[in-house]
Amino acid sequence: MKFNKFGMGLSRRGFLRSSATMAGATAVASTFGVQANAADKTIKIGFLAPLTGPVSAWGKPGLSGCEIWAEQVNAAGGIKLSDGDYQVEFVGYDNEYDPAKARTGATKLIREDGVSFIMMLGGDTWPGAQPVADKTGMLFSTLLPSDLAPDTQTLLAPVEVHPIYNVTGVQWMAETYPNLKTAVMCAQDDALGLPSVATYLAAFEAAGIEMLDDPLLFDPATTDFAPVVTKLISNNPDVVCLDTCYSDYVHPIAEQLFQQGYKGQIISCTADFYDQMIAKTSKEFMEGFIFQFPDFDDPALNSDQINFKDPNGFFAEYNKRFPGEWGAVSWEYAAVMDLWKAAAEKAGTADPEAVLAAMKEGGKGKHAFGEADWWGKDLFGIDNALVGDWPVVVIEDGKATIKGFGNIPEWYDKHGDLLKKHMAAYDQMWDQRG
Amino acid sequence: MVELLLQTGLNAIYAASYLSLIAVGLVLIFGVMGVINFAHGELYMAGAYSVVALYANLHFPFLIAVAAGLLFVGLLGLLMERTMFRPLRENPLGGLVASIGFLMVLQAAATIGFGVRMEHVPPVTQDVIIFSEKVRLAVPRLYVIIAAVVLLTMLWAFLTKTRFGWALRASAQDPEAAALQGISINQTSRIAMFIGAGLAGIAGALTAPLVSVNPFMGHSVIVAAFIVIIVGGVGSLEGAVIAAVAYSVVHTFVTTFFDGVIADITGLMLMLVVLIVRPNGLFGTADRA
Repeated sequence: MKFNKFGMGLSRRGFLRSSATMAGATAVASTFGVQANAADKTIKIGFLAPLTGPVSAWGKPGLSGCEIWAEQVNAAGGIKLSDGDYQVEFVGYDNEYDPAKARTGATKLIREDGVSFIMMLGGDTWPGAQPVADKTGMLFSTLLPSDLAPDTQTLLAPVEVHPIYNVTGVQWMAETYPNLKTAVMCAQDDALGLPSVATYLAAFEAAGIEMLDDPLLFDPATTDFAPVVTKLISNNPDVVCLDTCYSDYVHPIAEQLFQQGYKGQIISCTADFYDQMIAKTSKEFMEGFIFQFPDFDDPALNSDQINFKDPNGFFAEYNKRFPGEWGAVSWEYAAVMDLWKAAAEKAGTADPEAVLAAMKEGGKGKHAFGEADWWGKDLFGIDNALVGDWPVVVIEDGKATIKGFGNIPEWYDKHGDLLKKHMAAYDQMWDQRG
Repeated sequence: MVELLLQTGLNAIYAASYLSLIAVGLVLIFGVMGVINFAHGELYMAGAYSVVALYANLHFPFLIAVAAGLLFVGLLGLLMERTMFRPLRENPLGGLVASIGFLMVLQAAATIGFGVRMEHVPPVTQDVIIFSEKVRLAVPRLYVIIAAVVLLTMLWAFLTKTRFGWALRASAQDPEAAALQGISINQTSRIAMFIGAGLAGIAGALTAPLVSVNPFMGHSVIVAAFIVIIVGGVGSLEGAVIAAVAYSVVHTFVTTFFDGVIADITGLMLMLVVLIVRPNGLFGTADRA
């Protein structure tokens, strides 16, 4: 209750006043010769994501990636602001993918830990943190731009444009395999699954692939996927789409597809721990599986357009420290931090408002996969998603391989109306979300 | 369409099998001890982790790991009986709250011991029985069906043909009268907890290669198990088995012909209808409900 009361009671002005007082006190201390060493000056960054529970695969590996990022940045001298160099430290808070815990965590990170920026997975947890963001003016990031709305100016989607990038996989598949004409889809019925369903429907329609049935929605508590798969393959589809199912679902669904004798194409947003899927099915069965998240040892990531620093080295270090845990989000929060660090150094301060302005200056940004635009007004009501190219990944001979990069704004220019139509049908437009 | 119906029927038989094992264990514990064991889903999880530890990590044979899972979770049941349910025998609400606490302890233990990630359990076999192009049954799912039939038959024989089974049923019907006949309530409670927990453990162990094993996997089965025991009649073993079959058939067919969300709603509606028509469940009696 205390946290809630504080969350409602602390106004944006009050928060900024407190911050200004803190900054003033720091300046006075400096004036009187209380000079801190670089090692003593620390900027704290909040990591508010599911670290336990069924969705933890899209939180915990990201925090592990951030630890590597922080060590590398700190070893290189830290974050260089106008008043000196700062070490960076991550403060994790496990929201268990629960909106109420996200709210408590956001309040705690701001009030007790004094963080300068909060990274979230978003989705079902964003409505919990949103009132805190609105009251305090704190800068937040989400991996899910479907959280964006003009009500909250300080929420950014600077790396992952879920689910819009899924259109690149479908486009590549349709161009590469023009004989694929029919598809079916399943998804969990939640804030991650539904916008992705709308996106895949738009992408299939744009590619001329017919849906044989309505998307099959299942409860997130489902454990036995045999009935789901029986239904999916009953009409002999050319393509089975696994939408943005959590890895806890992708694995058993893939295994069921294997056991029930499916031999067609599979496309999915993610294929975390795909080596385990191969072990449960076969290398032949998984050959050609299309998804959207590369291993960072892929040679395609060494091209000049990639802004993520030393992806191969990051991948090697990650696997050395956290063997077998590389997943879709392992690099993403670190990529968010690259953008935040560049903006903070440009602004010369960690102040949320100044960092936000620096980050969006000129309407362009250095996305992990290349130059990108701050985009989204048409779809999210606000240009707070950094959108450009996204990789299409295919499992070949048991290994994830980037087959190319698709440009999302280009697709949207041609087929945006389809996307808006399907988003609206699933109540996923920003002005429909309650 | 015939193939679709047959495949869905096979799916329903599998679902009914593992759900029966879990629900019967839950009913047995309630029937003898009068305690709603909220940690029952976590006992199922503990069985699955026994297979992760012994079969996936230490490479023991699968059947050894399953047997160890049964034994380990049965012993966990004895621990619960001795440290929680017996001291709180006169306070059923206290037992319920204690079981919620134990649920959290088990989740935390699994998280500390194995981490929060989904565990990879290699398939026992990739063999599939092919009845026709679109009617197939994976052999590991057949193992679950066979195990459920064998274990539930053994339980029925134990309860109806042995002195310990009679004592158990007597304690369930009227603990005070049973005690006056010289039946040890502590002993029947221990047997009920060991068998009830062990059934959940073996269900978790057998299905570990077929589901996503994580510390929170118990949540998903306990809801279905509660629906089943309410529909079947709280305290009725026959009711639990029949309700597990009915619930699984309805849920599986509705998932296949509509979708999973509608299937969940239908399952809850089934419970609601039974509660309206027969408030004590299909086989329940007023004194236990």
